[in-house]
Formats: sequence, C-alpha cells, structure tokens
Amino acid sequence: MSTIRIEHLARVEGHGGITVELDGSSVKRVEFEIFESLRLLETLVRGLDCERVSPALSRICAICSVAHALTSLKATEAALGIQVTPRTVQLRELLFRGENIQSHALHFFFLALPDYLGYASVLQLAQHRRATVELGLRLKKLGNTIQETIGGRAVHPVNAVLGGFAKLPTAEQLIALRRALEQGRQDVDLAVELASKLPSIRVGSKPTAYAAASGGTDYGYYVADRAVLLRDGEQLVFPASEYTRLTNEQPVAHSHARYSSFDGQPFMVGALARLSIHQHKLGKRAKEALAQLGLDLPSSDPLDNNKAQVVEMVEDVDYALRLVDELLDKGLSAEPPATVERRAGQATAITEAPRGLLVHSYSYDDHGRLLAADVITPTAINAASIEDRFRAVVAAAEGSRTAELAHSLAMVARAYDPCLSCSVHVIEASDVR
Amino acid sequence: MTKPRVGIFGLAGCAGDQLVLLDCEEELLALADRLDLRDFLMASSENDEQTPLDVALVEGCVASHRDEERLRRLRERARVLVALGTCAVWGGVAAMANEDEEARRERLAAVYGSLGAAYDSLPPRALHEIVPIDICLPGCPVEKRELLSLLAHLLSGQVPPPVEWPVCADCRMAENRCLLQEGVLCCGPLTRGGCGARCPGLGVPCLGCHGPAEEADPSVSAALYIEKGVSLEDARAAVNLFCARAWQESTL
Repeated sequence: MSTIRIEHLARVEGHGGITVELDGSSVKRVEFEIFESLRLLETLVRGLDCERVSPALSRICAICSVAHALTSLKATEAALGIQVTPRTVQLRELLFRGENIQSHALHFFFLALPDYLGYASVLQLAQHRRATVELGLRLKKLGNTIQETIGGRAVHPVNAVLGGFAKLPTAEQLIALRRALEQGRQDVDLAVELASKLPSIRVGSKPTAYAAASGGTDYGYYVADRAVLLRDGEQLVFPASEYTRLTNEQPVAHSHARYSSFDGQPFMVGALARLSIHQHKLGKRAKEALAQLGLDLPSSDPLDNNKAQVVEMVEDVDYALRLVDELLDKGLSAEPPATVERRAGQATAITEAPRGLLVHSYSYDDHGRLLAADVITPTAINAASIEDRFRAVVAAAEGSRTAELAHSLAMVARAYDPCLSCSVHVIEASDVR
Repeated sequence: MTKPRVGIFGLAGCAGDQLVLLDCEEELLALADRLDLRDFLMASSENDEQTPLDVALVEGCVASHRDEERLRRLRERARVLVALGTCAVWGGVAAMANEDEEARRERLAAVYGSLGAAYDSLPPRALHEIVPIDICLPGCPVEKRELLSLLAHLLSGQVPPPVEWPVCADCRMAENRCLLQEGVLCCGPLTRGGCGARCPGLGVPCLGCHGPAEEADPSVSAALYIEKGVSLEDARAAVNLFCARAWQESTL
C-alpha cells in the first residue's frame, strides 16, 4: 500500500489537500479534502434585513464577490417582487464580464501557467518572462477597472444595490473604460497566442457531464433562469427553482463541502462547461480563438478548462465593448434604484460565476427579513468531479514516480480553478422550501 | 540593504485581502523585487515554512483548531505580525453571531447533521484574542492605498500612523451629502475611516466594514441616531454585521 499526499494545495484560493491510496496499481481511496474553516454564513444571515443580505453573502468569496453579490440581489428582488430596468441588467452583465476577466486572468496567468512553464509561482515566472506576466497583469487590471467603474470597488462591490445601482457611471468613465477595452482586445489576442503555444500536457482524460446556467440569446453570465446538464450528447433542462433536482447534495466525512451528483454521477461546471453547452452563442472572435486553441468540445480533458478561460476572456472583452457602446448610445440619465417594499416571498436565482453555476435561494418573512438561505457554489459542485478526475489521473499514471503523480493531481485540481472558501458554505436545503 | 523576509497567510475568510495585494497590478512586480517573499501559499507552490520572518501578514479569523495552531506558529516565526483585514482584526462577518462553543456546536449539527460533531470548528475569533498582534489594518477588504502605505512604511522600518478618525471625517472632506441627516441608518459616525468614505460617496450608507473608530464616542452617536429617528436596535444590528465582537461591550 502506498499513499500520495498533498498536505496543503498551493496556488488555489483557500485550504484543501489531496490523498490517494494505492494498493499496487489499484486505487483504494481518492480524496480531495476541503478543510477550509467553516464560517456557516448562510445560517448566520438569517434574520438580516433584505438590504444587508447581499453585502453579507458577497463575503463568501472575494474572487467571485461580484457573482455572489449580484446573484444575491437577483434572488432577493425576485422574492420581494422588485423590478429592475433593462439598463440595470446590462450594467450587471457588464460587471460580471469584469469579474470574469479579472478572475480568469488571475487563474490562467498566476495560478495555472507556472505549471506549464515549469515555475513554482508567477513571481518566479516574472524573473524569466516578464512580458508574459505583465500581459496577465494588464488583463487582470482591465477586469478590475470594469469592476471599479461599475461596482465601485474591485473586491466586494458596493455600488450594486437592491433595485439597481446607487450611482451610474459617467460618460467620461465609460469612455475611459472603452479605451481600456480597446487595448484589452489586443491583449486577449496575445493571451490566445500564448495559450496556443503551451506545451501539451496529458494527465488522464475521462468523459464527463457538464452543467451551466442558461437563458437569453447571448453568451452570458447574469441573464439566466435555468440550468442545463449536458451528458452523452443530450441536454436536460432544470428551471432555477428546481436546482436541487440537479445538484442532489450530500455531506461527506472527509470534506467540508457537500458533494453534488446527478444520477449518481458527478458533473463539471465552469468555463469549459459553458463552452461545451453554449459555444454557438459566442461572438466571432471568440469562436476564432476556440478554433485556434483546438478545443474539441465537449472535452474529456480537465486541463482544457485553462484554455476555455482564455476563450472566454476574448468573448468578455468584445461583449463588454458592445455593452459600453450601447450604454453610451442610450445616454446615462439618472435612474434611482427601484423602491424596496418589505414583504414575504421566496425565490431562487441562478447565474454563472467565473468558476461555474451559482445558485442563491432565499425566503423572506413579512418584514423583509431573511428566513433562510441556500447557496450552491461552483466549487462545491466540482468537488466530486475533481475526485472523479483524480481516478483517471492515477489510472493514466501507472508506473510513474510519486512526485510526478502528485504534480499531475495538483494540476488537475488547479485546472478546476477551485475556490475553497466558497465551497464550504452549504446548509440543509429542506430549510428553504 | 537586505530584503525583509515576508510571508502572507490566510486563515478563515474569503481571501479578499490577499486579493487586494494581487490587485496592485501596477506595483506588484516592483514590490516583489523589494521583498524576500518566503511563504505565500495562494501564489506559490514552493514555500519555506520554517525560516523566521520579519513580517507575517495574516488575513481571516480563527475558526478552527487548525487555524489556531497555524496562528500560534506564525507568532513564533514573525517579528512583526500584521492582522490584515476586518476578519483578522475583529472576527468579521463569520463572527457576527458572537457565539460560544455550545451555540457553535448546535449550529454545526443543524447544517451537517451527525457529521458536524467530527468537523474541526471553533466559534470565530479575531487574531488578537489568541496571540499579541503588532499592527492592525482593518477593512473588508483592506483599502489598496492603505495596504501599500503599510508595506512602504514597513520597508523603511516604520509603522504607519494610526487612523483614528471616523468615516464621517472622510465624508466631510469629500463634501458628500450626509445620509444620516436624511434619516438613513449609516454606520459612518462609529466606523474607522481611511476609506475616503467610499460607500457614502456613492450614496450608499456605511456598513461599518472597518470596525470601530478610536475617536468615535458611541453614546454621542447613539444620541445622534435617536435625533435622526434611527432605531438603536437597528444601529446595533448594523455594526454587528462585521464586528460583533468589537461592539459587545460598547455603550451604543
């Protein structure tokens, strides 16, 4: 019996480890342990006034704080019957683009790329390939500029409130953002070129089911009202309110995340899942990037998620430009947030966070105070899928040295771009319905 | 000049303060050249977990025995221990219920059933409740400008001057309209400034994410809230969102 153990996985958000036990060539145990300390935010926010729920639950995660904040607003607004304007929807979609660019640039350049190029960190990488790191920093900054311009802050947005936005951006701000996005178009092309020249690494493939939020005609993140599961070439649709039929979460002893599965099988969410389900909705340049990177969808290689993120950055920059132009064309006359009437209600909102499908489901009492919240995060969904992929890695690595196998396992876990502080916040769903 | 040996760590939290550091896109590479960055798990897979450190920046609160052990080890390792962000300084949102161990056990059982008892979990606490802290920089997340100023001071062997004024002072400097004058519950009078009144500047009331201001007098603020028709119960609930442990003995 031999054991491969990564005590504390590096270059991911949060705290997790990997254990694989082998008996000869057969796998006895594969565990992705998430030991992120429990904060139990969903239970703590019970009783909060509706206006404080989004700021409180955005703190589930910093890297995807926009997704949590806005999905929370969407759920509360639906529960309390608050209507937002089309412009608010556009601004929120734009804010999601900013977060996606920021998060993907951070993951692709800072967390994943060092593995491909043989470095331990982006800082080591910077000593040898400064221009590459500077490219990543420029893209990351572009995402943050969108978040600051629209959301009022890069981490934990403050300008997106119930009913809309506290303050609209000025024309001058949007024109400056436009200039930054024009530069960004060149930068994403450089990122595609870089991704197309990465050494090919194969650590073990395995076909998987994919799930993504869906709704609207565009390749979007905020505008969605259902989930789609793609498996064996077939698509199953789940309205947002029936999300538990898709996720079927169960607690497990070795992890602080509850595990999701459909028909007993794990499924993957994130950029690669979105591309696999929605590639026909991509704009022209993103489709070209997809072709240039040679992604064969639906992919059976988890490392393709790294490249899928690059394709999305191309889409996001182009789409953000389109949104900024539309906002400028229509003018930016003041538009105060819709009035909030405190009353009872319940609703579920579904969106695509950078790491995949995100659900916030709430119920409120007569005074607009939160009775219960259920939050399903992409990394919680992916945890079971990551373990499933580990088995394929071990099977493909027969005869290789322990250190190599450990490195492959870490690369696969990292390719999912796990956000472990997100993953541990779950509560028994029976409280919500 | 020898470069200071620095480590960056996260306990229980959202990693937002480490992210603010990584968000210093313009300064990051220059900063990395001036520091001997020894231990930064979020950004590097090669870390030196043994060497003594000149500075350890620690974000997040302590919510497990594992966190507590890591923090005690960091205290032994680091000459200067910095509590980075409101979770580290005051416990943050995870501590909003300000629970004891028994209440915590009940909450765990409600979420995870019988498995809950086996998980390593403690009522969330601020770092100073476990070990002595040398420098506190609150914020949820910390302000980039304040973080860079802190690092610049540390690089020249100094400590930045403390921010003792409330958000109201920042608000007046920015000539924002006062939301409290309009009867809106704003935590500005009680909350440490330094953020440039980021939220009130957008017309959003202060949520109190920086924790108590040294100069604020809670009884004066209480009188002000009553005068403006804001219920004290609501005001207490509001400041407890980020810093319940800081406000538990206040006169608000």
